[in-house]
Amino acid sequence: MLLQLRNIFKWVQLGGQRIFLLKDINLEVQEGEFISIMGPSGSGKSTLLNVIGMLDTFDEGEYDFLNESVHSLKEKYRSNLYKEYIGFVFQSYHLLDDLTVEENLEMPLLYKKIKSSERKALVADMLDRFSIVGKKDLFPTQLSGGQQQLVGVARALIGKPKLILADEPTGNLNSQQSEEIMQLFKKLNKEEGVTIIQVTHSEKNAAYGSRIINLLDGRKI
Amino acid sequence: MFKNYLKIAWRNLLKNKGYTFINVGGLALGMAVTLIIGLWIQDELSYNRYFKNKDSLAQVFQSQTFNGETGTGPAIPRPLEKGLRDGYGDNFKHLIMCSWTNDHYLKYGEKNISRPGNYMQKAGIEMFGLNIIKGEKDGLREINSIMLSESTADALFGNEDPIGKIITVSNEHKMNVSAVYSDIPVNNSFNDTDFVIPWKKYLANNEWIRNAEDQWGNNSFQMFVQLADNVTFDKINSTIKNVKKNLNEDTAQFNPQIFLFPMEEWYLRGNFENGKQVGGRIKYVWLFGIIGAFVLLLACINFMNLSTARSEKRGKEVGIRKSIGSQRGQLIYQFLSESFIVVLFAFIVAILLVLLSLNGFNELSKKEIVFPWGNGVFWGVSLLFILFTSLLAGSYPALYLSSFKPVDVLKGTFKTGKYAGLPRKILVVVQFTVSVAFIIGTVIVMQQINFAKNRPVGYDKEGLIQVPTFSQDFVGKYDLMRTEFLGSGAVIEMSTSSSPTTQIWSNRGGFTWEGKPEGFQEDLAWTEVSPEYAKSLNMKIVEGRDFSRDFATDSLGVLINETAKKYLGMENPVGQLLRDDNEEDPNPPLKIIGVVQDMITQSPYEPVKQGVYVYDRNDNASYYNMRLNPNQSATQNITTIQNVFKEHFPDIPFEYDFVDGEYGEKFASEERIGTLSGVFTALAILISCLGLFGLTSFVAEQRKKEIGVRKVLGASIFNVWNMLSKDFLKLVIISCFIAVPIAYFVMNGWLQEYPYRVILKWWIFAIAIVGAMFVTLLTVSFQAIKAAKANPVKSLRTE
Repeated sequence: MLLQLRNIFKWVQLGGQRIFLLKDINLEVQEGEFISIMGPSGSGKSTLLNVIGMLDTFDEGEYDFLNESVHSLKEKYRSNLYKEYIGFVFQSYHLLDDLTVEENLEMPLLYKKIKSSERKALVADMLDRFSIVGKKDLFPTQLSGGQQQLVGVARALIGKPKLILADEPTGNLNSQQSEEIMQLFKKLNKEEGVTIIQVTHSEKNAAYGSRIINLLDGRKI
Repeated sequence: MFKNYLKIAWRNLLKNKGYTFINVGGLALGMAVTLIIGLWIQDELSYNRYFKNKDSLAQVFQSQTFNGETGTGPAIPRPLEKGLRDGYGDNFKHLIMCSWTNDHYLKYGEKNISRPGNYMQKAGIEMFGLNIIKGEKDGLREINSIMLSESTADALFGNEDPIGKIITVSNEHKMNVSAVYSDIPVNNSFNDTDFVIPWKKYLANNEWIRNAEDQWGNNSFQMFVQLADNVTFDKINSTIKNVKKNLNEDTAQFNPQIFLFPMEEWYLRGNFENGKQVGGRIKYVWLFGIIGAFVLLLACINFMNLSTARSEKRGKEVGIRKSIGSQRGQLIYQFLSESFIVVLFAFIVAILLVLLSLNGFNELSKKEIVFPWGNGVFWGVSLLFILFTSLLAGSYPALYLSSFKPVDVLKGTFKTGKYAGLPRKILVVVQFTVSVAFIIGTVIVMQQINFAKNRPVGYDKEGLIQVPTFSQDFVGKYDLMRTEFLGSGAVIEMSTSSSPTTQIWSNRGGFTWEGKPEGFQEDLAWTEVSPEYAKSLNMKIVEGRDFSRDFATDSLGVLINETAKKYLGMENPVGQLLRDDNEEDPNPPLKIIGVVQDMITQSPYEPVKQGVYVYDRNDNASYYNMRLNPNQSATQNITTIQNVFKEHFPDIPFEYDFVDGEYGEKFASEERIGTLSGVFTALAILISCLGLFGLTSFVAEQRKKEIGVRKVLGASIFNVWNMLSKDFLKLVIISCFIAVPIAYFVMNGWLQEYPYRVILKWWIFAIAIVGAMFVTLLTVSFQAIKAAKANPVKSLRTE
């Protein structure tokens, strides 16, 4: 088992009243799954994804990731944990504008303190695999949205994560670009056994997954 | 990793050129100012460090009290030498008598030059450790020997070997050049000593000095000492203070206090008030040190402000970095590295600025500062300075930026809270407080200088020259020369005097007069003049009459100034007598024939001293004062005068000074301070404005959407401008409220040092406030109007 959420609650206090963002979420994810989280705006999809990705905290409940209790870990260990095992893909790509494609790919490796020669090899591999070798010296703003997201996925993958978290990865893309990214996810899941959890609005994209979780007002339905 | 940070920092600098210019430019400017001030301070502190025995050298000083007022100075009487040698000799390694540093004519063959120098006892050479380049180490052994500084020897002898040559001093004494010593550097009190002659010769030449051997009241000499090992200044000062009082009864009434004034304090702490040491130039060292620190602070504030202002732009980067695994410490490290790189870059620019401006600065400050390329300490301090500045400037943005939560910034819901701008506002307030205080300070310094400059001097200093006549050759030739000069057409009136127009060289007491209060110890400025003195200077006679050649009795007449009239307590001074109170062998009494208007001879910031102008019966004056013919050009006049002079005194170099120039010298120090603080104020304001400019552009950027919405809803350009400017104006007004009392307090304290001073007026403060507000509006408006004129469709579409 990759991760397990037990009775997760998250709320904000608003004028003496608790507004629940997540309410009693229970979830088990096995390695190799491809899960789609769906639901209307404000239902807590992104919050759930951020909690899983340890970017956000929760107020109650337990979260085990690879048999580590995330809820009792200190910030520093938590960041070591997700640095090691989790890759993020964002709706608006979130590449560093000041760095070239190649340097953007290298960034996570730097934070993992990987040696220079190895870094070079890994980056070259990734560029090759995503057929973006010709674009390695370009800056993100010089690329189309689809290409940027391709780099985003490559960056998420380069640290060899067990889990990829994608928050509406195709939200800013046209249908053809969407199709390509989803095919890529499917391939990664099938051929390399990477676990993927994606948040999406589109039924069509959700269908790529092996399991769909529906949220409404912070609750699983 | 560091390479990566470097890359990002560099690209950031290149991408935001305007920001880089403001940030690096502002910081570099601030650093350049601080560097220059640092070099200036270093130069000031290095004064009087040339002699190797500097730590144990001192000059003998004396404080005396006249009518309750204590004056302190280096002039001491000759018998004090014996008193100290006999009673306290063990405490000194050396003790030497020395003359004042006076100009003398030095002549060799056709060459005739005028140079300043001293007579001193021979131990002085060893005591000061003069560096003998040629000739005898013990060069003052023979009474007719003279030691020359290297540059003086060069000027006289050129390529000839000077040792053993005979030169003529003051056109009468044949002296044998015994040694040549290295020039004493500019930043030394003995810089002017271009030659040294044995003290014995001084005695042999002058009867009055020989007679002074047992005159305790004749304070006309200098004495320098070197302490013996294991003797401290404190210890010896407590033992010798009453030496003169104990040895001489006549002068005991003035309570003479003798003490040693250490050489290391001469330059920076040389002021005395009522017998107490009260600092001196050291206050300017502090003043400029504080200015330097503040200017650097301003520049750092800019850096911090602009960096945090940009934080929203970089917030996304922080979010991304954190989500791919960066820890907070790494981000802090990254931002500090960036700050270090910018600071280093700014430092390089600052050094260029310093190199470009050093010449101008030297001219302004009358220094000869060179850039210390080879000085390890300088570079060490610079490195510390860079590290310190990057820490100071970078720590706030580093801590602030790295604290962002990735979810917040990435979701785009990140907004700086209501008070996120507060530190930034405080920083702007600090900046403008300093700037406004600087403006007020500079205006007041300038005002004080102008106030003193516009003070009536009591005579007409334009078109007046003085020619030194320090030689026996001039004695008895005044009447002849007067006829010659007047006849030449270049001079319309001339006179002689025993001291220059702009100085007092002699003071006397020991008189009685009708109505003199019991026990009154008078002290009168004493100038011996020829009868045409008042006429040649255009001094106004307010009572009685001027000297006249028609009355033979005028040779025992005297003119007094208005202050002296009050000082002597005379209702109707004309006709009264000043009698010598020496009962055994009195000089004939002097009859007051007139009262002249006060004339500023000393500091223009001090009240005029009570003075008397006595008929010079011996025709033994030090200066010719000549009123030039206004109908001819000055050059023409000078040439004519020089020709007449050369005709009669072919062996004496012709020298002259314009009196207004000499008078202007009195303001030189204050004017330098004024100009420098003016320059630094301008730079401080410039730096503050650069910061404000940058800050406004970011605020405008930040509120772009808001401005767009407002415009769509019908806001005019004026509305938007008003909205953006108001915030900053408020801050500047707060700054003014803080700066005004501080500036008032400090400047009022500064002015207290000048008895003759400008009164602080409220409008000075008003001008500073209005000026600061005007500059703020100008700076802010540029950006505000640009933002207000932008097409709202564009700014709204970017969302």
